[in-house]
Amino acid sequence: MTSFDRREMIGAGALALGVIAVPIAVLRAMRAPTDDEPSDRQKLIAQQVAQILIPRTDTPGGADVGADAFLLLALAAGLDGTRTPDGGAAIQGATARYRRPDGSLDHLTWLEEELDRKAHGDFLAAPLARQQAALDTLDGAAFANHQSTGPWPKIKGLLLTGYYTSQPGGAKELTYELVPGRFDPDLPLRPGMHAYSSDWTAVEFG
Amino acid sequence: MMTVNFDAIVVGSGITGGFAAKELTEKGLKVLMIERGPKIEHGTGYKTETLAPWDLPFRGLGDAEQYASVYPVQSKNRHFTEFTQDHFCRDDENPYTTPAGGEFTWFRSYNLGGRSLTWGRQCYRWSDYDFGANKRDGNGTDWPIRYAELAPWYDRVEDFVGVSGAAEGMPQLPDGHFQPPMPLNVVEQHVREGISARWPGRRLTIGRTANLTQEKDGRSACQYRSICARGCSYGAYFSTQSASLPAAMKTGLLTVVTDSVVEGVDYDPVTRRATGVRFLDTAKKERHRATARLVFLNAGAFNTNHILLRSHSEAMPNGLANSSGVLGTHIMDHATTLSAIAIMPGFEQHTTFGNRPTGIVIPRFRNLETLDGNGFTRGYSFQGGALQSTWTQGKRQAGIGHGFKTHLRTPGDWKMILVTFAESMPRASNRLTLDPAKIDANGAPALNIAFAHGKEEHAALADAKAEAAAMLGAVGGQVVMGMDQPGPGGSAIHEMGGARMGLDPTTSVLDKWSRAHDVANLFVTDGAQMSSSASQNPSLTYLALTARACDAAVSMLRSGTL
Repeated sequence: MTSFDRREMIGAGALALGVIAVPIAVLRAMRAPTDDEPSDRQKLIAQQVAQILIPRTDTPGGADVGADAFLLLALAAGLDGTRTPDGGAAIQGATARYRRPDGSLDHLTWLEEELDRKAHGDFLAAPLARQQAALDTLDGAAFANHQSTGPWPKIKGLLLTGYYTSQPGGAKELTYELVPGRFDPDLPLRPGMHAYSSDWTAVEFG
Repeated sequence: MMTVNFDAIVVGSGITGGFAAKELTEKGLKVLMIERGPKIEHGTGYKTETLAPWDLPFRGLGDAEQYASVYPVQSKNRHFTEFTQDHFCRDDENPYTTPAGGEFTWFRSYNLGGRSLTWGRQCYRWSDYDFGANKRDGNGTDWPIRYAELAPWYDRVEDFVGVSGAAEGMPQLPDGHFQPPMPLNVVEQHVREGISARWPGRRLTIGRTANLTQEKDGRSACQYRSICARGCSYGAYFSTQSASLPAAMKTGLLTVVTDSVVEGVDYDPVTRRATGVRFLDTAKKERHRATARLVFLNAGAFNTNHILLRSHSEAMPNGLANSSGVLGTHIMDHATTLSAIAIMPGFEQHTTFGNRPTGIVIPRFRNLETLDGNGFTRGYSFQGGALQSTWTQGKRQAGIGHGFKTHLRTPGDWKMILVTFAESMPRASNRLTLDPAKIDANGAPALNIAFAHGKEEHAALADAKAEAAAMLGAVGGQVVMGMDQPGPGGSAIHEMGGARMGLDPTTSVLDKWSRAHDVANLFVTDGAQMSSSASQNPSLTYLALTARACDAAVSMLRSGTL
């Protein structure tokens, strides 16, 4: 455990999950049932991937704040084009087998099977170092040559969104300032200064 | 049906409607302002203003599935988010049609204040390069006015609106009555100096914006949040709610009706005058009629055309004020695209504080004294700015774990972005008509929008891409991408025209006072009146024309010439 307050972490995570749990339930009630509800194993994989992608440091990690739960919500609702038929360039070659009947890509099944392959076995049963190596390999391939290819960039983007738009991610890991009150056009960037999650133009354009 | 009587009726409560109501009431007229959408109160009506992403179910991104069914067009607007969605109209209830292959993204706000709540707030005067453009190259019809006639009305509008900006002395972008400018950031200042040194005729300056840098008339100075489209309870940017409506209400002469869509303007063929309007209370499903001595149409450019086309009668079978037959034609937007993104090295030790709600502008430099455009005769300008990346850069980068988290914790690379707005040529083939089959939720015929950018706009964007890369490269930028193809029509949210102003009643709809040639007491002072599009954001010019028309209308009314 780091210097981060564990009670605070659990509270933040529970809060995030509480916020997210309602819309997932609402979504399920509102929409036609599908046969592709995430399995318990897929949920655990999402949780582990969230925490490896953004580990716990002096601030909470990805799973600590429910970034994985946000990923499940986002995929269920089709954020970032994840439920559109032939979701962009993601469905190519070997990924074609993860195409749903509606033409969209089953990102979670792809992630599950891809990580098992990269881990040379059961990803969840593998030691943490092998899990990290598997995800690192997957990530490196997806962003090779400064290109974004395959389903992973969408998943990664949604996990990052889940993290940095959570209260701990946005206001503890980064800085959140709703009412700056002034604009300073040129300040020295000093060590330890954090980026702003509330710089909306930067958020939009990256 | 209930009938009530007013001096003037203003249809629409957006940027120009609210301002017309203010001007007319302040001149002593009893005014009815009719808004098709619901009331949004200043301050208390801005439900998401102070929320954080974690307060919203989808963290600000919104429910994509709902957006696909309810807001398929509006959700393409970069200002449309989970925070702002209630400030846009429902596409499913307000359909329009386009010809096959002719996409047009029509962004609309059907609520009190209209798009004044969500507008980009950029305020630029037009020059005689713009008012003289149609005459110069023979496209469209000549404007019946020039800059000198509009200059005092720009003054009046800027004094009320509150526009911050820097005077630059450029004839193609006349200076105005400005509040102190917001500063350029360190990278923008560097780019400004580099461009001016290499190209003396080009100037990067701060975007002139309807955000206050000083308190004004009970409105606070900008708090540098840059979340304007949620609504600003500080009143720091100009909107109907923050500025025009309070001024009009102060007179005690304004009646506001919301949730009421105007179905037509009544016309008396004997007197050749508009007698009032018919409107439907969409909540109670009741129809009403209001009468007035003046009618101002400010429903938004295309909806004003829609009302005129729907107001056909035996005397005017092709639409009200359409004896010329040009009503609905020569509609325009701007051709816009992201011309360049460049990484700006050398500023790694610099950062900023606060969210400035405006960017930069590089005014047009083509086709001024010399026609130097390759394949185009009009202008284009750049808007954009320099920014420092934050966590979203991680979506496009390799990396996981502690190192990646540390990387995203720190402000990232500086980037400079240039977006082009190219002038849209007025073409008869770009036009609005009533769809013969499609109807909206209230039974009204839907508007059909036929629009395509032409070769001139494509040529301008190709030139802009090359020039953007040249300028950013010359100041040390590393251009990583740029585009030269425009987005679909409507992308600039500057749709205009259809009821163009002109000298000749046989080729134009409005006279030099924004008044219908055919109907002496009918005024159109929103974007519908435009005869050309320039390359500047048009709202300030709509406002100046509105102020001028209101003054003229009241003078005519009082002198008995109406």
